[in-house]
Amino acid sequence: MRFLMITGRTVNQGVTVENKTSPAYAEETSTCFMHELDMLDLGLDDRDAILVTGPCGMVVMRAVVSKEVEMGTVFVPYGPYANHIIDAGTHSTGMPDFKSHVVEIESTDEEPKMVHKLMEDLGGLAYDR
Amino acid sequence: MIVKDVVCPFCGCLCDDIEVEVEGNRVISVGNACELGTTKLVGEERMKKPILRDGGEWREITYDEAVQRSADILTSAERPLLYGWSGTHGEAQCVGVHMAELVRGVIDNTSSVCHGPSILAIQEVGHPGCTLGVVKNRADLVIYWGSNPIDAHPRHLSRYTYYADGFFLENAFRDRKIIVVDIRKTETANVADEFLQIEPGGDYAVLSALRALVRGKPETIPKTVAGITREQLIRVADLCKEAKFGAVFFGLGLTMTQGKYKNIRNAIELVSELNRHTKFTISAMRGHYNVYGSNEVNTWMTGYPYGIDYSRGIAFYNPGETTAVDILARKECDAALIIGSDPAAHFPRRCLEHLADIPVIQLDPYPNATTAFCNIQIPVAVTGIDAEGTAYRMDGVPIRTRKILTTDYPSDEEILSRMYALMQEEQER
Repeated sequence: MRFLMITGRTVNQGVTVENKTSPAYAEETSTCFMHELDMLDLGLDDRDAILVTGPCGMVVMRAVVSKEVEMGTVFVPYGPYANHIIDAGTHSTGMPDFKSHVVEIESTDEEPKMVHKLMEDLGGLAYDR
Repeated sequence: MIVKDVVCPFCGCLCDDIEVEVEGNRVISVGNACELGTTKLVGEERMKKPILRDGGEWREITYDEAVQRSADILTSAERPLLYGWSGTHGEAQCVGVHMAELVRGVIDNTSSVCHGPSILAIQEVGHPGCTLGVVKNRADLVIYWGSNPIDAHPRHLSRYTYYADGFFLENAFRDRKIIVVDIRKTETANVADEFLQIEPGGDYAVLSALRALVRGKPETIPKTVAGITREQLIRVADLCKEAKFGAVFFGLGLTMTQGKYKNIRNAIELVSELNRHTKFTISAMRGHYNVYGSNEVNTWMTGYPYGIDYSRGIAFYNPGETTAVDILARKECDAALIIGSDPAAHFPRRCLEHLADIPVIQLDPYPNATTAFCNIQIPVAVTGIDAEGTAYRMDGVPIRTRKILTTDYPSDEEILSRMYALMQEEQER
């Protein structure tokens, strides 16, 4: 199913943002907040893994019920998971379309990766403290 | 020891009433701050020493070696990108601008991916703004448009709007009305007197409808505009016109959606219309600590607020061309200095793919997502915790931040100045 993906700040994202290697940051920024009826349509239970496909690739997140989003829209906290599929085009403004990406969502058996794994997939080298 | 009136180093609110209890060299408790500020002040485990990527592994190096190697990388680059700057203080930002000019690089700050579009709109139509103190003491109507302060600026409502006392308001809590405009029913929307839940991408149309109503043209408004009924629009326009002093605060809900700076321009022009009836101001909810300062410092030193390209030997500014996301996505820069930000967590993947291909130097106290793309990371003191300096609050008020801890970590300014001195020597050779 197709959805409009919005990204934005949450308290938990802000609290964990200085500790990006933590499981808590990975958990928060890999959360895809959805309307419960949309989840029902996709046959998803709370915290089920989903494959989110955007214009630049795909990433595994977890679906979580939210009363804040409308049907057809999903909300993902700012971070490396949403950015894994967001296009870098800025329409000559410098600003990508962080709040207006159409994505495809389906259920998956895969688990969300940790942040360092996502970075390694793009050519980085994880640093362990 | 309890340190009073500490300035919070997290968001653009720069709350200056924080109480911090320090024992030895650690913060053990934090009073008055929100959850975001408390976590930042208590701190995470920091990187101990500078690190160098050596093939497929990391090794620790000395500060001297890290500074020398970093200076060499930037000096030998043809088009280095110097990006970030919002998490550091003005004094370090000054050195950054000098450095960009010296190496003919591009210097950009995080506003290009937050309120850069707001600045573009302000450059077109001006900024009828005011300080937060004026809002607190005078505003009887506050509009949060595309912003969710309860999550992003948790004390904005208690320090300046919904829960705050106002000198010129008899009973601020009762007399002050709050309007929230958003596509999500956020926590902030729950405290609003009026909540306009608009359809995604509908901001421009709703702003235009309100402008028409304020102009006295209700007949032009259809039954609904982007999901908002005509009745509610009329009610909101009346609330605005009847207010003694209105204040609009807008967030990334306007800058990151379709239309981008045109949304902000329309919002500013609505405020301009409203000033024919009453007093109204508009301000951006600046997110990252000293992001406002990075715009100020860049503007007074180069004439431009962000995205400044020195490749011609003079400052050149063209957002969309000279901004970090575009430069990385086009694979244009051949080295990057990252400071006070974490682009690997906040930039689209195409930008990271290029970061992986070029030498990257980062100044940051903590290992973060960008660390994975670094050749060198230099741990520095946290501005506002173990380094002092000047930061600008979201309303443009500069505030001197103090040290609450003394550590051996050098400040951003110190490391940048050492790098700059070496780069000057190299250029003179």
